[in-house]
Amino acid sequence: MADQELKQRVQELIAENQVLLFMKGTPDMPRCGFSMRVVQVLDQLDVEYGAIDVLPALQPLREVTTEISDWQTFPQLYVNGELLGGADIVEEMFDSGELAEALGVEQPAGAAAPAQPEQPQGPPLQIER
Amino acid sequence: MIEAALPGAEVEILDQTGAADHLEAIVSAPQFEGLSRIDQHRLVKAAVKTRFDDGSIHALSLKTSIPAGPHQ
Repeated sequence: MADQELKQRVQELIAENQVLLFMKGTPDMPRCGFSMRVVQVLDQLDVEYGAIDVLPALQPLREVTTEISDWQTFPQLYVNGELLGGADIVEEMFDSGELAEALGVEQPAGAAAPAQPEQPQGPPLQIER
Repeated sequence: MIEAALPGAEVEILDQTGAADHLEAIVSAPQFEGLSRIDQHRLVKAAVKTRFDDGSIHALSLKTSIPAGPHQ
């Protein structure tokens, strides 16, 4: 059984933060490829979110999220108090535009190719005389 | 195993590492109708839980979808 004090704290955090990411590492320094993928998606959508590094208390937090959401693996993205999913679901929902909708933000242009750096928006070509 | 838990499901398993412990499953099942993605994944993960518990699978990457039925 999970640590009930920790569970209560986690439930408070989920309730207090509209968008909350449980991840391995930090947004600036993800320590796991799956966590990094979710951070990249959130950055592209330019949303504010809370992030919790689960590594210092991995096993207790795993037990807590198992009780709260029936989900053991990290990352976990919570939106409006509900677990939306891990990296697979978040990416799939991002590609389809569902994530932007759930977060109430605009789908960025060129979102289908997350690995591409943004194209500089130069002026149209002109011929100088 | 997934087909047994979700009758009528179409399942494709890809072995990502060649060691058969990091798998990707593409599952299309009529039972997913009306469920959020997270609930669809919960159904599949529940179906293969024993394989995680005994350590024969370490990671399962999932893609779920609802099959296009005759009504569509």
